[in-house]
Amino acid sequence: MKRSSQIGLAAAGVVLVATVWSMTGEETQENVVYGSVSECLAAAQLSADQCETAFAQATAARLKDAPKFRSQVECEVQYGANGCNTANVGGAQYFIPALAGFMLARGLAGAQAQPLLPPTTATCPPGSRQPECQQARSSSSGSSGGSGGYVRSRAYSTTSGRGVTAAFAAGARGGSVATTSLSSRGGFGSTARSYSSHSSS
Amino acid sequence: MRRVAIAPRPDWTEQVERLGFAFHTIDGETYWDETAAYAFTLEEIERDIETPTEAIEQLCFAFIETALDHEETLTKLAIPAAHWDYIRESWRRGERNLYGRLDLAYDGRGPAKLLEYNADTPTALFESSVVQWDWLEQAMARGAIPRGSDQFNSLHERLIAAFGGLRTPSPYRLHLTCVQGSAEDKGTVDYLMDCAVQAGLDARFTYIEEIGLLSDGRFCDGANQPIETLFKLYPWEWMFRESYGEALAGSRCQFVEPPWKALLSNKGLLACLWEMEPGHPNLLPAFFEGDPRCATLSPRRVRKPLYSREGANVTLMERDRIVDSDDGPYGAEGHVLQDAALNLFSADGNYAVLGSWLVASQPCGLCVREDASPITRNTSRFLPHYIEP
Repeated sequence: MKRSSQIGLAAAGVVLVATVWSMTGEETQENVVYGSVSECLAAAQLSADQCETAFAQATAARLKDAPKFRSQVECEVQYGANGCNTANVGGAQYFIPALAGFMLARGLAGAQAQPLLPPTTATCPPGSRQPECQQARSSSSGSSGGSGGYVRSRAYSTTSGRGVTAAFAAGARGGSVATTSLSSRGGFGSTARSYSSHSSS
Repeated sequence: MRRVAIAPRPDWTEQVERLGFAFHTIDGETYWDETAAYAFTLEEIERDIETPTEAIEQLCFAFIETALDHEETLTKLAIPAAHWDYIRESWRRGERNLYGRLDLAYDGRGPAKLLEYNADTPTALFESSVVQWDWLEQAMARGAIPRGSDQFNSLHERLIAAFGGLRTPSPYRLHLTCVQGSAEDKGTVDYLMDCAVQAGLDARFTYIEEIGLLSDGRFCDGANQPIETLFKLYPWEWMFRESYGEALAGSRCQFVEPPWKALLSNKGLLACLWEMEPGHPNLLPAFFEGDPRCATLSPRRVRKPLYSREGANVTLMERDRIVDSDDGPYGAEGHVLQDAALNLFSADGNYAVLGSWLVASQPCGLCVREDASPITRNTSRFLPHYIEP
């Protein structure tokens, strides 16, 4: 037979395109990310009080905003093995994604720290060899600064499910932290616009 | 090879739409046309289409091997010099390709002749892979064609298998992209995304206009997720020249199709292959415009811009008279002249061009497009085919 024996159209996969992908605003704002209070202290960009406060804010926001699951399995399907722990919310026991770090808007005094959760399995599928997933899945994570350039990156997710990839640079103070930021957008597509024609054949 | 008039399914629009085929009618004109079908013998398919397709692909690989180190050829193909090393590296790393479509002139008599190679951004894929396959099943079920008919079409299973093998380790994360505002391009990418998901990949769509550049040099999608592997239904010759062109080499992104396909999706290929293998049974004589050997071409010849899509700016000439031409925005980079094919199938006032599909460089499918003129354009109609039992 010269033709396929069967054709399956994973309709759900097609629907996924339309429902999941929406334009999000550009991220021009610089954020700093810390994996823990000790990392925050080691970076020496904030005072000890500020680090403690940020951590407490992130802890509280996580309990309030993170997705809550009735079983460990349900939670780990989304956040990966060892990505969840138990929490008591309103007297009931839940499994919620672990606090993997916290993010602060740089230069915004008084801004609330945002909790960072483990990357979702959509971002870092089990067995992924992407560098940011390696870091994220490993147990952790002293702030082992290297020298020069980006020494490592880590994937996280926000409580609303958005992915965040933080690149940890070895800065002057050994371990300062910055998210990879968007430099620009829209550098492809100009020819199609100018031709207002098909780009395929 | 015969053109067989067949009654369309009374409910054909519902039938094709249930498959998710959104562009069966384009700008009010019929695109999916099942008022007729093309019938082939198995020998015609295997001897005249499948085997030559494989042979031409091998010839193309031999061409790339020599062209990459031949600056004169790269210049003639109008490949920007700034990207030569980038293309060379993609070839030497062995970056794999997903698919392509050879357009062939063939009328059932004598060898098929190569008209062009859509190596970079071919469409007509979903209708080839799924819609005509479904038509065949129903045509046999309702007795419109003989039971036991077949079709040259294992595209679907080949695509799924090929996605799994494009990169190791697999499964991997794959982004897919095309321009906004083209239902046909989006439909093609949606279908490929479906195949990628079935291959177990973490597949995500982003429009090409949404792509951004991260501070570490990587491209990212509309949600700022880094792009590691990108299927792009967008031509290399445009990407090279756009503002992110200079970011390509540092992006650590594996592109599908790979950059080396830029040498094949170029009408200059036709002149280069003829130079390598003059007299090859599946090639038509062709030279770059300005080459004195153009004088040796037949008076009936076709002038094609190096970069053009869907017949745009192609001119059919009889001596110096223009017989047929298509307007369009292409041609600034130069042209090739090629003998007009003498074996273009025509019947009932229609011309047919065969599209012979390759997936991972293996021939595995056929589509037939018809037009009322000898130049196949984006207004051509797609007709199903079958292999007679």
